[in-house]
Amino acid sequence: MKLPFFHNPAKASDGREGGASDNPGLPLMGGQIVPGVTDTTRPDETRDESFLTPEPEADARGAPAAQRVPAVTAASGTAGPTKIMARDVSVFYGEKQALYDVSLDIPDKTVTALIGPSGCGKSTFLRTMNRMNDTIQGCRVTGRIEMDGNDINTKAIDPVLLRAQVGMVFQKPNPFPKTIYENVAYGPKIHGLTTNKTELDGVVEASLKRAGLWEEVADRLHSAGTGLSGGQQQRLVIARAIAVNPEVILMDEPCSALDPIATAKIEELIDELRERYCIVIVTHSMAQAARVSQRTAFFHMGRLVETGNTEEIFTNPRERRTLDYITGRFG
Amino acid sequence: MSVAPVKARTDRLQAGLKARYARERRFKLYGVMAIAVAVGFLLLLLGRIIEQGHTAFYAHELTIPVYMDPARIDRTYPQGTNFQLLVAEQQLARFGITDDAQGTQATAMRTLLSSELKFRAAAMIRENPALIGQTVPVTAPVSDEADLYYKGEITAETPSDQRRVSDQQMAWLDQLKSDGAVQAKFNSALFQNGDSTEPEQAGVLGAVVGSALMLLVTALIAIPIGVGAAVYLEEFSPRNRLTDLIEVNINNLAAVPSIVYGLLGVALFINWMNLPRSSPLVGGLVLALMALPTIIIATRSSLKAVPPSIREAALAMGASKTQTVFQHVLPLAMPGVMTGTIISMAHALGETAPLLLIGMVSFVPGIPGGLTEPTGALPSLVYIWENASERAFHERTAAAILVLLAFMIVMNAAAILLRRRFERRW
Repeated sequence: MKLPFFHNPAKASDGREGGASDNPGLPLMGGQIVPGVTDTTRPDETRDESFLTPEPEADARGAPAAQRVPAVTAASGTAGPTKIMARDVSVFYGEKQALYDVSLDIPDKTVTALIGPSGCGKSTFLRTMNRMNDTIQGCRVTGRIEMDGNDINTKAIDPVLLRAQVGMVFQKPNPFPKTIYENVAYGPKIHGLTTNKTELDGVVEASLKRAGLWEEVADRLHSAGTGLSGGQQQRLVIARAIAVNPEVILMDEPCSALDPIATAKIEELIDELRERYCIVIVTHSMAQAARVSQRTAFFHMGRLVETGNTEEIFTNPRERRTLDYITGRFG
Repeated sequence: MSVAPVKARTDRLQAGLKARYARERRFKLYGVMAIAVAVGFLLLLLGRIIEQGHTAFYAHELTIPVYMDPARIDRTYPQGTNFQLLVAEQQLARFGITDDAQGTQATAMRTLLSSELKFRAAAMIRENPALIGQTVPVTAPVSDEADLYYKGEITAETPSDQRRVSDQQMAWLDQLKSDGAVQAKFNSALFQNGDSTEPEQAGVLGAVVGSALMLLVTALIAIPIGVGAAVYLEEFSPRNRLTDLIEVNINNLAAVPSIVYGLLGVALFINWMNLPRSSPLVGGLVLALMALPTIIIATRSSLKAVPPSIREAALAMGASKTQTVFQHVLPLAMPGVMTGTIISMAHALGETAPLLLIGMVSFVPGIPGGLTEPTGALPSLVYIWENASERAFHERTAAAILVLLAFMIVMNAAAILLRRRFERRW
């Protein structure tokens, strides 16, 4: 695959070209790190209480990574089954319309990048998927968003439960002003996912390992999470998000406050997390979109202009505006 | 290009720089002056109070041999005996004064002795009736006027219309002192007694307990309601005309003169709810009403100062609104909440005007044993003592102010220590 712009040989070749299925070198996250316990049992338990997901999904997700792989085969950018389906989604902030009739399918076990100039509505769209827009007064969402075929905007769906299944990582690292351990343990605690301390310790360790932070913080789990560097804080926040074993992780410009080295680590992590989660990332950096995503959606002026496989968007966009944006003519 | 323009530019820059530094120095000077003036006034105030009040912390006691005359003491009712007169007559005899048919000399001598003497002597008899018929030393405070004379606040030069100690009494007092019967002691009555009409027996304990009970009621009512109201208004309530109206009114209430709260207290708690007048309960309720707006405003502004990223983080983790507020936002806002609370409690402690209206200015000699018993309060005690006619109350007024300040400092220090435990960085 050749990317005409922002080609990053190192990343592109080992990160995406390989893909999860045919790269045995990639750590098979849970199975390898946490000896069985948390990883194989926990998803099933969570799933049992799930309010959204139909049962067949549960088997697929609960299975070891190796068996799940065929569904993921996203090496060339072809997506897994649709996880989230948005139809004619419009968002209004009071009188002002921020998003116009966006229809987009987001596949599972894939990184989908939302790109576009500032104020184009990509973050707004991201926040419709875990109903964070509910918390903004005067914000109204119309249209239909389905997760695994269930409308998430009906009254029957509690946003609190939805957010337990759709994790979110923000632009500025925002760990709680508590210890590292408490940060990661917070989600499992409030959702009652663990029954005892040992189990909780296991979840914290597994999540930190999965977020690639365990080595750095194992000896100071009980010091303040806010004392970590920016990049470590962002990985801590990711660990916090995955500790409740969500199905979807939304990332709102997760690297824009980080230096290049920390950014590279986060991108590597995103690529690894793709095996297990449906990831949607908003980014300002087209290079980053090219490096980490398989699918890209380009937003402009509140409208979805174009969506497709990342390499197609970057090599052969159908729309003139997309081409102008990715070549840096505006935005 | 020539050198000249460059040099001109440098000169201008340098001239400007000089002016800038001069301005900075001037500003620093203003700051130092402002602080010096503030500290100066504070020291003046404190110095004046201490200068006036320090004498109240010690008092003079008289140890005098008393012949427990069986003819004068009723064994069945010793406290009915006029010990003061008995002691005065014996002392007169000791001074060799016998021509006192009118009893004026004995009365003059008697007024130098505190009425406390009577209680102490009676207590001794009650404890040990065998003392009757014997001569035993009795120790008791001297009267307030005698005490002032020993402290040097009344002298022979004091115009006789400004003192109640006659020249003869002064001579007696000098005689007693030279006999070694008089000692200066720590004035424990000031801290152990309630209010009294006799200055030498008046103490602040009743007022301290009353103030403490009142503040307890205020804190228990104002803090939960104030913080709860602020959290609801800031985090849960919709923004509409009604909440705007409420906000404006809370801000206005914070500026309402405290005496208006006193009137409200009389009308609401005493006249309508029939709660007992002068009680810590009513005082605490009135002060709670007064403290509420301050606490609400301080809590709201510190809730506003919590970064929204923390709220988003908690909500995105699937925490409910309540969990977000009580597990993340409120703990972070706690130092600010505490600051507002400390200020409003300190304010409530020193508030006098509303207390005058709910009957706390009345004379209450006892120490309150409960929330519904009549009590005084420190600020109203200061007010009462300042208006008292006895000269000895003047130094005690200053002493009561010092006790009030100490109470406030202890309370604030405790609150600040507590606040420090809540302080976290993010």
